[in-house]
Formats: sequence, structure tokens, C-alpha cells
Amino acid sequence: MRETLSKLLAEATSKYPDLFILTGDHGYSLFDAVRKTSPSKFINVGVSEQAMVGYASGLHKVGIRTIIYGLASFVPIRVLEQIKLDLCAGSVPAIIIGDGAGVVYSTLGSSHQCAEDIACLRAMPNISIYSPCDKFELTTCFEEALKLNHTSYIRIGKSDRPEVHPHKPATPGVNRVSTGNKEKYAIVATGSMVSVGKNIGQKYDVSVYSVSKLKPFPDADILKNHTNLFSLEEHSQFGGLFSALSEIIATDTSWNAKVTPFCLEDHFARKCGDYQFALSEHSISDQQLEERLRATILQLESDV
Amino acid sequence: MQNQLPPLTTTEFEPVSLRETVLRMAYNAQCVHIPCAFSIIELLSALYGNLLRFDRADPRNPKRDYLVLSKGHGVMAQYACFYRLGWITDNDVNYYLGNGTNLHGLSESHIPGCEVTSGSLGHGLPIAVGIAKGLAIKGSDQKVFCIVGDGELNEGSAWESILFAAHHKLRNLNIIVDANGFQAMGETSQIINLESLTQKFSSFGFFSDECNGHEVKNIIEKIRAMDGEPLPKSLIARTIKGKGVSFMENNNSWHYTRLNQNTYQAALRELGGA
Repeated sequence: MRETLSKLLAEATSKYPDLFILTGDHGYSLFDAVRKTSPSKFINVGVSEQAMVGYASGLHKVGIRTIIYGLASFVPIRVLEQIKLDLCAGSVPAIIIGDGAGVVYSTLGSSHQCAEDIACLRAMPNISIYSPCDKFELTTCFEEALKLNHTSYIRIGKSDRPEVHPHKPATPGVNRVSTGNKEKYAIVATGSMVSVGKNIGQKYDVSVYSVSKLKPFPDADILKNHTNLFSLEEHSQFGGLFSALSEIIATDTSWNAKVTPFCLEDHFARKCGDYQFALSEHSISDQQLEERLRATILQLESDV
Repeated sequence: MQNQLPPLTTTEFEPVSLRETVLRMAYNAQCVHIPCAFSIIELLSALYGNLLRFDRADPRNPKRDYLVLSKGHGVMAQYACFYRLGWITDNDVNYYLGNGTNLHGLSESHIPGCEVTSGSLGHGLPIAVGIAKGLAIKGSDQKVFCIVGDGELNEGSAWESILFAAHHKLRNLNIIVDANGFQAMGETSQIINLESLTQKFSSFGFFSDECNGHEVKNIIEKIRAMDGEPLPKSLIARTIKGKGVSFMENNNSWHYTRLNQNTYQAALRELGGA
């Protein structure tokens, strides 16, 4: 996914004369391509994320659009107020890319881990939020974000998970990535959790859906066929995919489903370890997810 | 642009009349933040009257010079200028802050003439720097003026953008510091001492000078004199918070005080307007 992001940035800056990239001294080799094809379109503003968002707002006033890159812990989290006032309040069509979301930076600890970005941004007006699971969804999300007249956020999580889609989905939204026969159940996952969810769904004969857009929440009627949804996300339970699904179910009487969350728990990093270890602190390592989902399905089956 | 339209007369932005409008708004709305508007009256008078190139018929003309009021708390002073320009109406002034009216008590970017949503401090200057960088990229000769409060310069984001402006040699950027010596809870010298502001800006790579922020002629001369310098500029405008009304001057309690009928009439009398 990272190579695709690098390519998309280079292609977009080549194609659009007034599209620039800003980074707060993060990204390194990600920008090799754009620095080669459009060196003048790349501005490393220095370690100053707050001001960077202001620059994006100012550049927009004179007709220059920006892609603002940072690690999710810093962009958007460190600069929430700048995003709110300098971008969203004026519907500035900047594209914010938050890289390394979730617990990707497992060994670096709490400063670089990010469980709350979607929640924080979902509460702001005038922003669209994307959470692609692979290079195909990333491309679809990026292409849509480029067409928007307001601010957008693309969350990039663990980027070396296996590809999920065989090709680019037509639009960002709720896309089925695997079909199972146990119709009551469905795994509904976003970002880094889609590929592992797909594996588990195929193993236990449950349909799996990828949600690549979280705001505005896309048409999810396809999920109405199922009565037990298992939401998978490398994000807090509060304000992310689980919340979005719960909000729909709670407010739309045509739904008859229950959602069970599988997500980052309400605590910071405790011990150091690799990516799967960090996920395991939240009970969502690949192995734990499979065990928990299997047990949940068995329990539900036995309740019938 | 201003030069192509009927010339503005000095009296349109005459400081006394601008202060009268601020008082009228503040009394009608029963709102605070009068003294921090009064400290930038002459700065705005100089800018709108003599320095800014703008289109009276279209505040959003893309060829304009940009005036960013980063210290949004002084926005009534800017509204007073908008009133002279016909960008806001008698209704806006008489029913300021009333239910369903357009103008808020702090700067909002959707109001024509206001460039930024300000009031949370440390936002406007980075945006102004972004505008200046964008204009430089486009090879435009348009200028950017940004009024920041001295207290506002406590904010780290301001200094991030000052570093950037100097590194990128944004000579089209003019930062004007409203150095009134006060911030919300007291004197800047007692809370976070900022001096020497001129030396700080110089050491950051700016061309920096000082002026009497209540002498329009002095402000104009200083800004014009700086214009040729191949660096971003800062003008430290020495001002008085509450300037023009003796009982408000350097009296920080007036940052939070509303006018009553007596103080309103007394303030108008001091300005010579009643």
C-alpha cells in the first residue's frame, strides 16, 4: 500500500499544477517519487505540524491545494484545533493523510500509537473520512478525496497486510470482500483489520465486508441481511466503526441487528513488543481475533 | 483595486470615527473586548486608508492584498472599517451579536473581509504565512499583512511560522505586532516577557522595526520604508490597550467590562463625538 501511496502522490502532483504536498518532516522514502517527478511541489515545513495546517489553509486562499502528510499521532491528533478551524470551518479541500494509525509503531509506544483519530474527526463538520484496507481501496479513496470541495482524511494503518480486493472497488463504502453461508453473521471490518477478518470469515463461513469510508457513513443496507455484526477495527471502541454502525442501528428502525466490537481497548501501551504483540495487549492479535470470533459464533449458535 | 476606484478619503478611516463605531457596537451588544480593538484602530486606519490594495466592490477579489487579523479579539475595529467600506450595514452595527445576525464577537472567515477564523490564538499567522508562500509560488506582487497581539506571541505555532517565513524569505509578508503590553490576565512583561520583540524577529531572520502604533503617518512611513527589504518584515507597533478613552487605557479590567449608559456617554465625550 505504501508504494501505491507514493505513486498516487507523484501522479497527482504531476497531473494538477496547483496541488502541493506538505509534510512535517515525516515520510522519508515515501516522497522519493514526488521529489523526482515534481520537486517543487513538495514542501517539508519542518517539525511544525500546527503551523503546517495553517499553511495549507493559507495556500488554499490563493488557489493552491494541498495534501498534508503526517503520522496519525501528530496529524490529525496533535493538530485537531487547526484542522477544525483552519480547514473544516472554511471547507478547505485539503487531503490529510495520517500514516501509521493504530498500533503500527508498536515498539515506539504510546506517543506514536493512535487509537482515536477517526473518533476525533468524525465529530467535526465538513470532513470526509476514509480508512482503506489495501492498495485498491486506497486508490479509490484517494481519487474520491481529490474530487471533494471540503476537507478529507485518509487513515493509513498497517500497510503490509495482504491485498483484500482483486481490483479497485467502484466507490469507497461498504464492500463485500467474502461471502459465507452463515447468513445471520457478518464480519464488518475497516483498514488493517479487513484482511485478517477476511481470513477468519472464510474459515468459519461468514460473510466479510470492508468499510473504507467512515464519514459520511455510506449506504450500509447490504448489511441488513445479517442479524449479528462483528465490527473489527484497529481503533478505539468509542467513535469509530463500531460507533458508526451502532448509531445507524439505534436510529433506523428498519435494522434488526446487534453489533459486537473487536477493537483497541481503553488503555495505552503497556509492554513493548512487535505489531502482533501490541495488538494482543488489546486482545485483537490475529490469533486472538480468530479465537474470540470462533467462540462468539459458537455461543450464538448454541443460544439458538 | 483601490486605485481604480474613487479614492478613499482620510476621514473614512478617521480613528475617532472608527472608535465611535466600536463603542456603538459594544454598547448595543453589551459585549467586551473594547480595549484590544482600540489598540489597533490607527493600524487599521493606515492599512485600509493608505497601504492595502483592495476592491471596494469585492472584498474577496483574488488580486487583493491580504489583511489577516490573527488577534481576532480586536475584530470590532475591523468591523468599523467594514462599515466605512459598506461591507457591513447599520443593521449589523445596531444589532451586533443579536440572534440571527451575521457577525460574531470574534473573526469568522465566512464574513467577507475577514480572512481567517480567529479568536483561538496562534492560527492567523501560520495562515498568513501560507498565503505569502502561495503568492510567492505564483510570482504575485500581492502583499500579506498580519496583525498579531503581543500576548498571542506566547503561542508556539506563531514561532513555527516565523521560522518558516524567514527560511523561505517571504518578503511579501508584513507582521504587525500590536504591542499593547497586555494579555488577558495581566501585563505581558509579568506573564511571559516577550522583549526584545524587535531583536527576536531580527534574530529569526526578519527585517524588524518599531513604530508608534497610534500615529497613522508614522505607521505608513515605516511600512513603506520596509517595503524594499528582501526579507519578511515585522513592525512592532507600540500601542496602548484602550487607547482613546482615558478610563480604559492600560486598565486591563476593561478587557472584560461592558459599557453602561454612563460609561458609554463618557467614552463618547472623550472621543469628542457627543
